[in-house]
Amino acid sequence: MIDEHLLDDLALQNGLLEVDARLKLAVGIGAILIGVFSPSPIAPLAIAASMAVLTIGFARIPARIYAALLAIPVSFVFMSIIVILFMTGGGEPLWDIPILGHTFSLTTDSANLAVLLLSRTLGGMCSLFFIALTTPMVDIFSVMNRLRLPDEFIDLSMLIYRNIFVLIGESIAIHNAQVMRNGYSTFRRSIDAFAMLAGMLFVRAWEKGEEMLVAMDARCYDGKFQMIEEERRISATGIATATGYLCACAGLAVIFRSFSLF
Amino acid sequence: MHIMEGFLPSPWWQIWFIVAIPFLVLGLYQLKKLFAEKRETIPLLAVAGAFVFVLSSLKLPSVTGSCSHPTGTGLSAILFGPFITSILALIVLIYQAIFLAHGGLTTLGANVFSMGIAGPVVAYALYMAGKKASLNTFVNVFIAATVADLFTYVVTAGQLALAFPAAEGGVMASFTAFLAIFAITQVPLAIIEGVIIALVFKYIIDVRPDILVKLNVLTQNTVNRIREAAA
Repeated sequence: MIDEHLLDDLALQNGLLEVDARLKLAVGIGAILIGVFSPSPIAPLAIAASMAVLTIGFARIPARIYAALLAIPVSFVFMSIIVILFMTGGGEPLWDIPILGHTFSLTTDSANLAVLLLSRTLGGMCSLFFIALTTPMVDIFSVMNRLRLPDEFIDLSMLIYRNIFVLIGESIAIHNAQVMRNGYSTFRRSIDAFAMLAGMLFVRAWEKGEEMLVAMDARCYDGKFQMIEEERRISATGIATATGYLCACAGLAVIFRSFSLF
Repeated sequence: MHIMEGFLPSPWWQIWFIVAIPFLVLGLYQLKKLFAEKRETIPLLAVAGAFVFVLSSLKLPSVTGSCSHPTGTGLSAILFGPFITSILALIVLIYQAIFLAHGGLTTLGANVFSMGIAGPVVAYALYMAGKKASLNTFVNVFIAATVADLFTYVVTAGQLALAFPAAEGGVMASFTAFLAIFAITQVPLAIIEGVIIALVFKYIIDVRPDILVKLNVLTQNTVNRIREAAA
């Protein structure tokens, strides 16, 4: 039912856990930005490959899970790419397909755009997976705190984070109970069972909120969670490696700026 | 329907951030005020955000066989109003990107606008209008949730069409093409989500109608009438 693995669980035991969160975020976000600004597919593809190596090789994330994650964007990308292939046009025609009296033509420019978008999405998703699989949310909160984001936003994010796990536990328990009682045996029943699950989840969530209110009042919550921060310095080798990596990616984007496949 | 990381080219991803930011700044300002005045709402907002996240990570019973998830923001808009929903949606979308690998960071602006702002505003407006016209509560919830879902996908199609206009016919032609191709999965999905959210309402009314009265979603009279009709 909850078919995705919560990536946070994997992140908490990954091989790069000890690397400073600021460094990992800088590398991930830097690579995403270089990918999205790159005018040719070379740099995003290099980013995708290097990020996959970093995540599977160094952070020791199982390759099977990584492959399953890559399948998530497929249906969205597939539908959108079809539209882009046949609608955007420009350049020389490569292939004409007559459908119902209409001629849809695939041109060099639209094929190049489709290839570029595919590689950018692949590079971007791999960089996002790198952040997701190597940086636990708790570390991201402390970076958000250092960046001086509004306290209200960080507090609400932390409370939501905590409650996500409480509610996932509840929904798994309800779902198991429903499956044992043939709740999902037909389509009609599964609609009803799903709605019952969601409704009860809401009621349970609300009751948890009321309980938490009492608990927080009892502990004199005054509108801000104090986080204990240990002052950590990023190692010079770490900074040098990250800068070197990002410069190499940016270099690829600049060198191959006019490269295109068709 | 999330736009995936890297799919929107410059300048469009920046533009959607700029469009979404005023709403979010307003939302954050109101959140600050709420935190200062009514502290007791904080834990309730937190469970609401977690609820939207968990709801959107559950797999819907599906007809087409594709992997489909409810957006959850339509329900949140009806329960908590569109402004709170926009901030909750921002946090939930960041978690979806980092926990579930749905969506992305550069496309966050576009996704917050379609799922967190446009859809919820429509859901809330429709629900309020239906309530005023004293439409049957369940029909009203169904319409609001379904149309909000559909509108979210129309906005997403519009965002893609603006970024990738067609050679012949420009933005309008590619808008129609994106709409047509997304309709295959999104229209059945929106109807299923509408049915489910209407049923969710029924179950909440059965168990804890006082929550809905407290949130000003229903009046005590409506609750009494529904319970009498069911009895």
